[in-house]
Amino acid sequence: MADEARAGPAVYKETLLAGLWRENPVFRLLLGMCPTLAVTAAVKPALTMGCCVIFVLVCSNVVVSLMRNLLKPHLRILMFTLAISTFVTIADLFLKAFVPRMSETLGPYVPLIIVNCIIICRAEACASKNGLAISIIDAVGMGVGFTLTLCVLAGVRELLSTGKIFEAQVTPDWFVPWAAMSMPVGAFVTLGLLLGLVNVLSKSRS
Amino acid sequence: MSRVSKIRYFFEQSWLLIVASFIFGLLIAVTNASLDTRIKQNLKNKLNKLMKELISDANEFKIVADQAEIMGDKGKVVRTDIYQAFDANESSVGFAFEAVGAGFADKIKIVIAVDGKFERFFGFKVLSSSETPGFGSKIAEDDPASNEDLVDEFKDAPAGEVKLVRTGKRREDKSEANDDEIIAITGATVSSEAVVRIFNTYTEQVRAKLQEKGLIGNGR
Repeated sequence: MADEARAGPAVYKETLLAGLWRENPVFRLLLGMCPTLAVTAAVKPALTMGCCVIFVLVCSNVVVSLMRNLLKPHLRILMFTLAISTFVTIADLFLKAFVPRMSETLGPYVPLIIVNCIIICRAEACASKNGLAISIIDAVGMGVGFTLTLCVLAGVRELLSTGKIFEAQVTPDWFVPWAAMSMPVGAFVTLGLLLGLVNVLSKSRS
Repeated sequence: MSRVSKIRYFFEQSWLLIVASFIFGLLIAVTNASLDTRIKQNLKNKLNKLMKELISDANEFKIVADQAEIMGDKGKVVRTDIYQAFDANESSVGFAFEAVGAGFADKIKIVIAVDGKFERFFGFKVLSSSETPGFGSKIAEDDPASNEDLVDEFKDAPAGEVKLVRTGKRREDKSEANDDEIIAITGATVSSEAVVRIFNTYTEQVRAKLQEKGLIGNGR
């Protein structure tokens, strides 16, 4: 993690890009597997989940970063959880108020963001040790990385299970949808294949 | 360590937690207060939409039994509003009520509609459920072309005790009335059983409430 003392545009860029590829929460750190497997049957819920995680990540990182010098080591996890659960509850209420159908689709997975390891991991690894700017950039990078991963996974599954993307038909008429891709087995298979692909790409780059 | 020192130590260690709890609690309370009306309205709109879909002639719904007490399937009292549906001429065209029961994963909440004489079901719609996607979730699907349409099994079925069967012949002509045998969905037997149990728990109790109020005949 970037040291606050040498923080500058290069460090900000490095921090932002880390979440997208080098430290991608799903493909590299294998964090947040519950929503990754559960809400990626279609792109819309995956995108909504990603936006909720970005909101919670940014807000919790801001709060943790601001109070990092006041945190008692043995109470820090409790403080992180308190902050995270507050913002998750707010996100859940907003979904219920403004996109009730999506809230129903996501079901218990929005409240379950509270136990999403990505958020508590970033609070512990970054926000509790760095200033506000780095913490926000880290949250945005990790959140966007998580959202993009979810959308890629959901895109593959939605395309193969329904022949649609964003509910718009994109496959030719002869295409027979693979119903299994919308089920849990589809999530595991797609995630496994994408993880393999990311590993191959990483090795070939290095 | 003296008592005063202990109290001081406690506050030194936990003051941030106490202050943060108050601030975060306040934040949630403010958000909830500002969005609560909208959330409740969304739920009401959904209920109205589903009731309208079930009773197509309905123009307006009025609560005829507010928070009626129903003995749930686990012996616990639950409360539900019973609505009466009126058409454009203000004639009664049916009744609808929310019903809830345990499903495979979590509670299943449905809205049940019955005709104006409480003789036949119009059917049901799922308000909320967390049944397994691809299996138990099929209870909510209302696809006339499907061979596994639980919703269709209740349409025009007699408003009384219904029983679940594993296999049977589904009605081919949608104008035919259904009988009291509900054919379970393959792979979703527990969820199908849950819906049937909810119907059997609520139907007779709601009928009794409406008879008490003189809104339907007593069958004699």
